[in-house]
Amino acid sequence: MSDIHVDVAVVGAGPAGVAAGIGAREAGAGRVLVIERDWDLGGILQQCIHPGFGLHTFKEELTGPEYMHRWIERAREAGVEFMTNSMVFGAHPDGSLDVMNPDRGVFRVTSGATVLAMGCRERPLGAINIPGSRPAGIYTAGTAQRFVNMEGYMPGDRAVILGSGDIGLIMARRMIWEGAKVEAVFEIMPWAGGLRRNIAQCLDDYGIPFYLNHSVVRVHGHDRLEGVTVVELDSDRRPVPGSERFVPCDTMLLAVGLIPENELSRMAGAEIHPVTGGPILNELYQTTRPSIFAAGNVVIVYDLADWVSQEGVAAGRNAALYAAGALPEPARRLAIRGGKNVRLFSPHYVTGGADATVYFRVTRPIEKRCRVFADHGLYERRERYARPGEMNEVRLAREALAALPDDVTEIVVDAEEV
Amino acid sequence: MTDKFYDIVVVGAGIVGAALARELSAYDLKIAVIDRAADIPSGASRANSAMIHAGYDDKPGTLKAALCARGNSLYRELAGPLDITLQNRGSYVCGFDDRDLKHLEILLDQGRSNGVPGLEIIGGDELRSAEPNVSPGIKYALRAPTGCIVNNFEAVLAFMDNAQQNGAELFLETELKGLALSEDGGEVAGAITSRGLFRTRCVVNAAGVDSDLVARMAGDESFSISPTRGEYYIFDKNYGRLVHSFFFPCPTEKGKGITVAPTAENNLLVGPTSEVQESRTDTSTTRRGLDDVAEGARSLVPSITPAMAITTFSGLRASADTGDFVIGPLDSPRGFVNVAGIKSPGFTSAPSIARRVVEMMKDALSDRLTFAPNVSFVPERRHIPRFESLPAEEKARLAAEDPRYAQIVCRCETVTEAQIVEAIRRGARTVAAVKIWTRAGAGRCQGGFCGPRVVAILARELGIPPEEVTRHGGHSRLLVGRTKDYWFKGAGR
Repeated sequence: MSDIHVDVAVVGAGPAGVAAGIGAREAGAGRVLVIERDWDLGGILQQCIHPGFGLHTFKEELTGPEYMHRWIERAREAGVEFMTNSMVFGAHPDGSLDVMNPDRGVFRVTSGATVLAMGCRERPLGAINIPGSRPAGIYTAGTAQRFVNMEGYMPGDRAVILGSGDIGLIMARRMIWEGAKVEAVFEIMPWAGGLRRNIAQCLDDYGIPFYLNHSVVRVHGHDRLEGVTVVELDSDRRPVPGSERFVPCDTMLLAVGLIPENELSRMAGAEIHPVTGGPILNELYQTTRPSIFAAGNVVIVYDLADWVSQEGVAAGRNAALYAAGALPEPARRLAIRGGKNVRLFSPHYVTGGADATVYFRVTRPIEKRCRVFADHGLYERRERYARPGEMNEVRLAREALAALPDDVTEIVVDAEEV
Repeated sequence: MTDKFYDIVVVGAGIVGAALARELSAYDLKIAVIDRAADIPSGASRANSAMIHAGYDDKPGTLKAALCARGNSLYRELAGPLDITLQNRGSYVCGFDDRDLKHLEILLDQGRSNGVPGLEIIGGDELRSAEPNVSPGIKYALRAPTGCIVNNFEAVLAFMDNAQQNGAELFLETELKGLALSEDGGEVAGAITSRGLFRTRCVVNAAGVDSDLVARMAGDESFSISPTRGEYYIFDKNYGRLVHSFFFPCPTEKGKGITVAPTAENNLLVGPTSEVQESRTDTSTTRRGLDDVAEGARSLVPSITPAMAITTFSGLRASADTGDFVIGPLDSPRGFVNVAGIKSPGFTSAPSIARRVVEMMKDALSDRLTFAPNVSFVPERRHIPRFESLPAEEKARLAAEDPRYAQIVCRCETVTEAQIVEAIRRGARTVAAVKIWTRAGAGRCQGGFCGPRVVAILARELGIPPEEVTRHGGHSRLLVGRTKDYWFKGAGR
């Protein structure tokens, strides 16, 4: 029951947390401990056995477990300690953590700095407010992925997918591979939630119908799911009269959004942004509790694991500097603001003391040449398109920030047609 | 089980059946409780407003009026010994204009004659100084300091658990099909069920929404039940502290109206609607119902929006056409006892209903039943430790005693493997039952993370393959087979 003191504690051993451990060690932290609630390291990527990871980091296409294996090896070589099957159930404003596991019971981990890397969870059926009964056979896509890829069980034989988030698209294909029938993917919005490449590789290649502007309006079945009623929506998101139809199925997989998992952040008193659902950060990945840092999907839901790992390394590095008293004091506070086409973004402010990358997602697709920019002439890049399913980034150089006049207090980031 | 004999068979393991079984278990009687569901509570006792009402709602002279306030005080007495989560938050009926004020005054008078303590009418500003998030439109409120919120699942389980400790037997997935009567038809001889005959001298009808159908089996056509659907939202724990007490609009002929209430676990519960329907089994939610709930809730607490929801549900209340509870033994067949038409304030009244029914049975059925004390009766029971709400030292102590207490299964509600194993030991057989016992899967991810682990633990503890684990009994299997089966067995399995 003895407590543990480390230089940097990291909560979560998914892509962000493992990378944060590496970043902390590489920046000179002595003892770095990554605490993971699952039995194994790797987070959700353990169950993402499809390829497509690591194109940016390793310049090759890896599966989720392969991608994480490389990072975990690197972390072990860097001297990062891991503690698995260990639940952090409390977090305090100074970054100390209440932890338990079957070996040690309940104990506390104190640290010089803490990195929150808990990732996100899937939005459940109740949160999307679909009327009807509550039979067996309705799963979030990630739960179904765990059953199929890790436990070796099939959740059903005849599925519909609601929502076109990436895990839903991946699972549509996965269900086909296991001999199930996938009736269709229904997306409430006029555009896809997931990556374009997943629409092509997971739906189009297998002839799975994909309906935009469609929603499930009723669930049927008492014991096991028997079908769903779907309806087409008009441009005001109202049901089109006469468009209702019944789709028989025994399974519905939900891919209707991911929510950053910030119970611990709240407990620690880190301020949470109402739109992203993640902690408010500066470009140093520092929350409003100075010794607590955060990275990855716990902050904002990323499109690619590569970015999550990259942010993790940087957050871990800064946490190590903070623990050593070497993180520079903020020079100033420049608020970041999303322009008219920006739905969500992070960080929410920059100190001007370091290079900064602002990630954002657009509100709606811009299927034309567009410019992704930060105002005051800080940054501009041309793109062929900007889509809600993909993250955009804006890079702000320290020198350019330092050259901003004193009366500038806000930087607008946006994407717009050119 | 056909040759087993029971003094009493209670049909229905809702709050009434459970409270009655517990009350009866204080006597030296052989008691069976049957329920057709795979997990209890399953009917209206599962899906309701989780409130222990103060008792001002019902007209003096009715059974409801006589039993509700008494039920409220019995819950206060029993919550400790039976380890039921009961929180005395107090309730308010809200009035928006002077017509509503008249209504509140009537309720105040009713409450006083029903023996409800502490009632008073306060002004809207005074209300808002205690509850800043309620609507600025509220001008008056009837305050009932004895109103409580309860964990309704725990309450049913607690009564049943204690009854079982004291010798009562619970038979789940056992549906009543008919009554066996004596040759002349004048006496109850048995309960014919989907699992065979239970020979018995006495059948108690606590069958909720089907209680009129069960009464018909005894030839009693004196009442009928209109299944009345009530739909609800449950909101995330981040919003449970929007209000401290719980709130009603002025009641109408349809019922108490759409309420806003915190739950004992700090979720926020809003609902119900009140729609009479044909079906006795359809507990679907509807678009219109949910929209009505959201609108009703907003009139009391304007910041409420459906975006805060983690789940929705609906329940069917057993509204009797008599307008009151239907309680008591029949003259013929002797041995048949109705405890029927138990709708709001039925949950609150259940402990006092149970006492009343036992008194009636003692009076009317002394030739059939002998009410000798059960000398080994134990009036207390403990719930499975509620790990999440324990202080840190207590968590540490449990974890040191049993490492399975340090094995978190449900992240959202901090439910440990030890709790789940204990729930299964006490009779949980389904994923839903584990949730009812422990709250695993009741949190904001609704079982997304813990679902696969709960399935694995149920399979292990019950010694069955994971494919046979069900969500809520019957055909509600969660998994259809192993991966790669397709290659060996072909599509469609």
